[in-house]
Amino acid sequence: MADRPSPDFGKTVINLAALVLVLSYALPYVYLVSTSLKPPADVQQIPPSFFPGRVSLENFATVIGTAGLPNAFVNSTVVAVLTTLLSLLIAVPAAYVSALYRRRITVIFLLFALVTRMVPAVSLGVPLFQVMKTLGLLDTTLGLVLAHTSTAVPLALLLMSAFFEGVPKELEEAARMDGCTRFGAFVHIILPLMPSGLAITALFSFIASWNEFLFALLLTSQNSKTAPIVIAEFNSVYGLAWGPMTAAAVLYSLPVILVTLLLQKQIVGGLTFGAVKG
Amino acid sequence: MARIKLDRIHKVYGDRYPAIHDLSFEIEDGEFMVFVGPSGCGKSTALRMIAGLETISAGELIIGDEVVNHVDPKDRDIAMVFQSYALYPHKTVRENIAFPLRMAGVAKDEIERRVNEAARILELTPHLDRKPGKLSGGQRQRVAMGRAIVRRPRAFLMDEPLSNLDAKLRVQMRAEIVKLQRALGVTTVYVTHDQVEAMTMGDRVTVLKAGRLQQIDTPQNLYQRPANVFVAAFIGSPSMNLYQATLAGSQLTLGSQSIALPEAVFAARPGLGAYSGRSLIVGIRPEDIDDAAVTDKRDYAEISAPVTLVEALGAETMVHLALDATWVDAEDPDIAAAETMSRTAVGRFSPRTQLRAGDRARLAITPHNLHFFDPDTRESIW
Ligand SMILES: Nc1ncnc2c1ncn2[C@@H]1O[C@H](COP(=O)(O)OP(=O)(O)OP(=O)(O)O)[C@@H](O)[C@H]1O
Ligand SMILES: [Mg+2]
Repeated sequence: MADRPSPDFGKTVINLAALVLVLSYALPYVYLVSTSLKPPADVQQIPPSFFPGRVSLENFATVIGTAGLPNAFVNSTVVAVLTTLLSLLIAVPAAYVSALYRRRITVIFLLFALVTRMVPAVSLGVPLFQVMKTLGLLDTTLGLVLAHTSTAVPLALLLMSAFFEGVPKELEEAARMDGCTRFGAFVHIILPLMPSGLAITALFSFIASWNEFLFALLLTSQNSKTAPIVIAEFNSVYGLAWGPMTAAAVLYSLPVILVTLLLQKQIVGGLTFGAVKG
Repeated sequence: MARIKLDRIHKVYGDRYPAIHDLSFEIEDGEFMVFVGPSGCGKSTALRMIAGLETISAGELIIGDEVVNHVDPKDRDIAMVFQSYALYPHKTVRENIAFPLRMAGVAKDEIERRVNEAARILELTPHLDRKPGKLSGGQRQRVAMGRAIVRRPRAFLMDEPLSNLDAKLRVQMRAEIVKLQRALGVTTVYVTHDQVEAMTMGDRVTVLKAGRLQQIDTPQNLYQRPANVFVAAFIGSPSMNLYQATLAGSQLTLGSQSIALPEAVFAARPGLGAYSGRSLIVGIRPEDIDDAAVTDKRDYAEISAPVTLVEALGAETMVHLALDATWVDAEDPDIAAAETMSRTAVGRFSPRTQLRAGDRARLAITPHNLHFFDPDTRESIW
């Protein structure tokens, strides 16, 4: 009896483990933020300090003044928003059909969608470059949106079909009896049941595009460069500009964090997949 | 409102055996038709073909005067109540009921009026602004009904709409649905596997087994003149007792027991005479057996059998009897194998009976109420 740990003890251990895990995720980001707040002189100090000795917004001022960066933020936003919309437009109806009308062909379809994610992105880069070149879409927003959509759709497809699995088939049938076409039932009844699913899928598609580096690097050169590329260039064009680079990275991460916090309720709610009650 | 006609309808799912085989009958305008049968017999399939939710493999489906085989469900002007109710969880009760009207493009104030009227009839008025998730099972059931009646469709289809309710509510809703249907006069097809629902609700009842039509008739006729062994056993509770017997002249022999059949029995069933000297299946309803010592029955024949179990229910007493004749299986897949194996006859006795398990009972059997079936075709002998 005596040596059996009490439930409280067990809980403490679990909480501690969770804390360590969360910190291990958060640590690099915290370091990024703290570096961005150091005055330029302190950034490369040896040994490096974890927390800024003095807090300064100088890096942020530099970044905002950097030519090309505001433009890159705009490009990133446009590309990510368009990618999200296009991905949802393609993936949501496809996921619905493959979830509610499960046949051998739809299973194969989902499987193939997954396979495209298993190929390393690098190996897709060259053919993608050729395709975009042929289409005359190199260094265009549209070209990048298409490239990003091709990577975002499989994920969106799998996420949404998991959400649709939880929808009873009778709901669509009831709507059809009540005077809807199949598509009408989808729009009037099924989609409004999925705010969480749509929110999560939209967020993931957005992030996939927002953070994408490789395709952006290969497919853009001047006009439609996205922010990750411009941020990376801080270390080549202007020498080793760690301070402004971290500041830019912090700025760039803010929208995603903000949106995630805003959608927190939907995301947590949506993680209990398929809980549509009649 | 409309009649519904099925003409040699077949349904095959994929490449499997047919779920519905050669189904033909007509449902009259305004009629309350019940589809009944054991699990998997094709009731839902038949209903869903009428709804348009399932394709028809062969045959013609006619609603009103129109062949609707390829008409979309939304254009059939039919309402359906699902077993799971299939209420729209994100819509309030009001929006749920209004939905079919909105889809039909009915004007706003007219929708308002008709939703309120439906809610009044179904006593849902206090709940109009709640979501289905917050309602009790019975209330949800009524919302599903409301969504069906509000549109005044040509027909109602209901697939086991009461099976998710508890026994008491089920009995109450059973009566309410019948009342509502009578008031509205809308052609209704009601699917159930519960023969009590079938008997109490239907103007006529269609009995299905393994995708094939067994009999279609009024509840009274199903009970009194079942077409075959299956229907005889399926309708009525407890089930009809079925035994191998032999007929010699007017002498019916059941195991070690025998009964002299009066002339009237042969008059009522002219076909029976031809079975003299042959074996046949005899069916005895539990209510046609009684304790000869206390019975009010008259003109009965007497046999005897050991009592194995006595269940006193108050108004009546169920007595299980070990008749030594060969038991005939009714081939109802829903009857548990164990139940068939026990092979005891059941009698619905007067509560005055003094019989105990282990007694040898003298049984009063009414020969006029016996049922006879051909042992090969299992059809009724008339
Ligand atoms: N979508 C389907 N695909 C393949 N077979 C099916 C399908 N739906 C039904 N079946 C088969 O068709 C037969 C009839 O099914 P149906 O659902 O009509 O029976 P039911 O009488 O409604 O039974 P229950 O009382 O259990 O609801 C069954 O053997 C069933 O397995
Ligand atoms: Mg069914």
